[in-house]
Amino acid sequence: MTATTSSLIEVRGLHKAFGDQEVLKGIDFTAEEGTATALLGPSGSGKTTVLRSLNVLETPDAGAVRIADASIDFDHLPDDKSARRREIKALRARSGMVFQSHNLFPHMTVLQNLVEGPVLVQGRAADEAEVDARRLLEQVGLAGRESAYPAQLSGGQQQRVGIARALALKPQVVLLDEPTSALDPELVGEVLSVIRDLAQQGWTLVIVTHEIRFAGDVADQVLFLDDGVVAERGGAEVLTDPQQERTKQFLRRVLEAR
Amino acid sequence: MHISHIVPWLVVPLLATASLLGLSGPAHAADGDPVVRVGTEGTYPPFTYVDPRSQQLTGFDVEVIKAVAKKAGWQLKFVQSPFDAIFPALDAHRIDVIANQITINPEREARYLFTQPYTYSHGVIVTSADNDDIKTLADLKGRTAGESETSNWAQVARDAGAKVKSVDQFAQAAALLVQGRVDAVVNDNIAVLDYLASTGSTKIKIRRDVEGEVSKQALAFRKSDKALRDQAEKALAELRADGTLRKISEKYFSADVTVPNSGKVKVKGSDTRNTAEVVRDSAWPMLRGVIVGTIPLTVISFLVGMVIALAAALARMSANPLLRLPSRFYISVIRGTPLLVQLFIVFYGLPEIGLKIPSYPAAIIALSLNVGGYAAEIIRASILSVPRGQYEAATTIGMDYAQSMRRIILPQAARIAVPPLSNTLLSLVKDTSLASVVLVPELLRKATDAASSSTEFLPVYAFAALYYWIICWLISLAQNRVEARLERFAV
Repeated sequence: MTATTSSLIEVRGLHKAFGDQEVLKGIDFTAEEGTATALLGPSGSGKTTVLRSLNVLETPDAGAVRIADASIDFDHLPDDKSARRREIKALRARSGMVFQSHNLFPHMTVLQNLVEGPVLVQGRAADEAEVDARRLLEQVGLAGRESAYPAQLSGGQQQRVGIARALALKPQVVLLDEPTSALDPELVGEVLSVIRDLAQQGWTLVIVTHEIRFAGDVADQVLFLDDGVVAERGGAEVLTDPQQERTKQFLRRVLEAR
Repeated sequence: MHISHIVPWLVVPLLATASLLGLSGPAHAADGDPVVRVGTEGTYPPFTYVDPRSQQLTGFDVEVIKAVAKKAGWQLKFVQSPFDAIFPALDAHRIDVIANQITINPEREARYLFTQPYTYSHGVIVTSADNDDIKTLADLKGRTAGESETSNWAQVARDAGAKVKSVDQFAQAAALLVQGRVDAVVNDNIAVLDYLASTGSTKIKIRRDVEGEVSKQALAFRKSDKALRDQAEKALAELRADGTLRKISEKYFSADVTVPNSGKVKVKGSDTRNTAEVVRDSAWPMLRGVIVGTIPLTVISFLVGMVIALAAALARMSANPLLRLPSRFYISVIRGTPLLVQLFIVFYGLPEIGLKIPSYPAAIIALSLNVGGYAAEIIRASILSVPRGQYEAATTIGMDYAQSMRRIILPQAARIAVPPLSNTLLSLVKDTSLASVVLVPELLRKATDAASSSTEFLPVYAFAALYYWIICWLISLAQNRVEARLERFAV
C-alpha cells in the first residue's frame, strides 16, 4: 500500500479458503471516489466474500485492503490482539453495509435503527443524529414511518431503511450485498431507484448484484468474478460486449432466465 | 422419593469424613456471655414442639434446657431441625447441644459427650388396633417399622429384625401405622401417650413395653466441648437438687420421669384442636413462612442466579477455553446432580473445609447456583437463536462485543428466553421447600410443624399447596405481562 495512490478503495491479492475450498484466489482491484463498482459472477464465484472482506466480516487469509486512510495487511496482522482490533475497527468505520436480508434490529423502531450507530458508536448528539436520520428517511421515501417497527414494513421499505441505516454513519463507501435478491419482484424497482439516486449523488458504492441491466446503468466499473478470480473487468461495456467466454456464458444464462 | 430416605445416605458419609479429619472445635463464643445453640426437632410432642396456640417452641426438653441455661449463664438460640439432621448439625458446628430425648447408647457415647440423664423412659411397641400378630419385640422379625432413620428406636427395631421405613418425625410414623403402611412403630412411651391423648385415635394401640432395661435420655455435646458439657452437668445436678427438674416433669407427665421408676405417666395431650382450628391456627405461621422464607429465597436466588447464568452463558460461548471449560463443567455438575445434594454439600459439607455458612445464605447460595446452571443453558440457547445477521449488522455499524450484546443481542434473546425462564422461576418457588432440610423456616417447614403437632396432614399440606399455587399463579400473570411487553415489536 502506498500513500501516493489516489484511489479510495484498493484491494490487493486477496486469498480466502473455507476449509479446503479455495473461494478467493488472488483478487486485485481499485475504485475511485464517487464511482459505483458492480461485482458480478455466478454463485460461488467469491463476489460476496470479496465484499465482506472489505469490512472484515470475513478475514482473508492473505492480501490487503485499504479504504481511504485505513488499511489492513492480512499478511502481516499485528500479533497484539487489541492492535488488530483497532485496525479492523478503523477499516470498518470507513464503510456502511446493506445486507441481502436487511438485518434491521427488530426490537427498535425505524428511527432507533438509524440513530443507534451514530449515537452509541460515533458518540454524536442524539438530537442532531435524529435530524439527520429523518432527512435520510425522507430521501429513501419513508418520511412518516419513523416510529414503525421493521416488522410493520414491506420488504422493499425494510431494505430502504437498511440503506438509510448504512448512510446514517456517513461512511466513505457503501457496500451492498445483493440488496434486491430477497425481495418480491414488484418491490425490486423501488430499492434500485434509491441506489441509483445514491450513485448520482456521488456516493462511492460497491454492489454485489444479479441485476445486469441495473448494473449496466449504474456501474462505472464492472468486475466479473468466476472461480475466485476476476475473469473480466472494465466499464459497463463488459455487460454489452464481453470478451471472455465465461462472461458471455454467464450473461446468456442470466438474461435468458429473465 | 421422600427426603428422609436420602438423608442417612448423605449424612453417614459426611459424619465419617468429619470424624476422620478430626475437624471439631468449639464454634460458640467461649468468653463473656456465651450463646449456645440448641438443636431440637420441634416436632416431637410433648418433648419439643411448637405450641399451636402461642406458636412458641415449648415442651419438656425445651424447658429443661432453658432451666439449664439459666443456671449456667448461657444465652440460648434454638435451631429446629429434622431428627436425622441433628447430629450432622452438631458435627458441623451449626448447633452446640442437642436437647431432643437423645438416648444414651454405646455408639453415641463413643462419638459424643453426654450429661447425666434427665429422662428415664422405656420404649413401647405400637401396632394398629386390629393387628394381633405382633405381641413381642421378636415378632417384629421380617416386619416393617416406621422410625427416624438415625434414632435409637430405629436401632432397636432393626436389632429385632424389622425393616425400617424412614420418617422425619413421630407424627409421620403414626400416620404410616394408621394407614397400614408399616406394621409397627417402636418409640418412647410418653411420645405415644401424647399422640393418643392428642388425637383420641383408637386405630392404634400400645402392644407392650420393649423388653430390657429402661432407656436414659440426656443432653449431647461434641467431644471437644467438654467445658460446655461440664457446665450443663453442674446445672442439671443443681436443678435436680432444688426440685426444678421434678416440677417440669410433673407439669408435663404428672410423674417424675427424671428419676428411674417414675410410676404411672399421664399425658394430657399437647394438641386437642379440631381440624378447623388447626387450619385457622396454621394459616398465619405458614404465611409468615411464605413472607420470610419462600418469597425472599425465591427472589434473591433468582436474581443472583440470573447474573450467574448470564456470565456462565457468555463464558460457555467464549472462544477462550479458560472461560469456556469451567463454565461447561459448572453447568454439567449443576444439571447432573440433585439440588438436595447441592444443598447438603453447601450446608453440611463445606464446614468440614472451614467454610461455615449460616442456613439462610447457604440455601440462597445453593439455589442461586442451581438456577444459574439451568438458566445459563436457556440464555445460551436464546442468544444462539438470534440470527447471525444481527451480529453482523451490529458489527458493521461499529459496535464492539459488549455494545452489540447489550443493545442488539440480549434484548432479542430476552424475548425468546422469557417463557423457559418463567418455568425455571416456577420450579424455584417450589424448590425453596428443600431449604427446610437446611433449617430455613420457610413454608414447608412451617407446614410440617403444624402437621406434626396436630397430625392433620391433609388440611395442613393442602393449605400449604394452596399458598404455593397462589404464588405461582401470580408469577404466571406477571409472565404474561412481560411477554406482551417484549412482543410489541413483533407483528
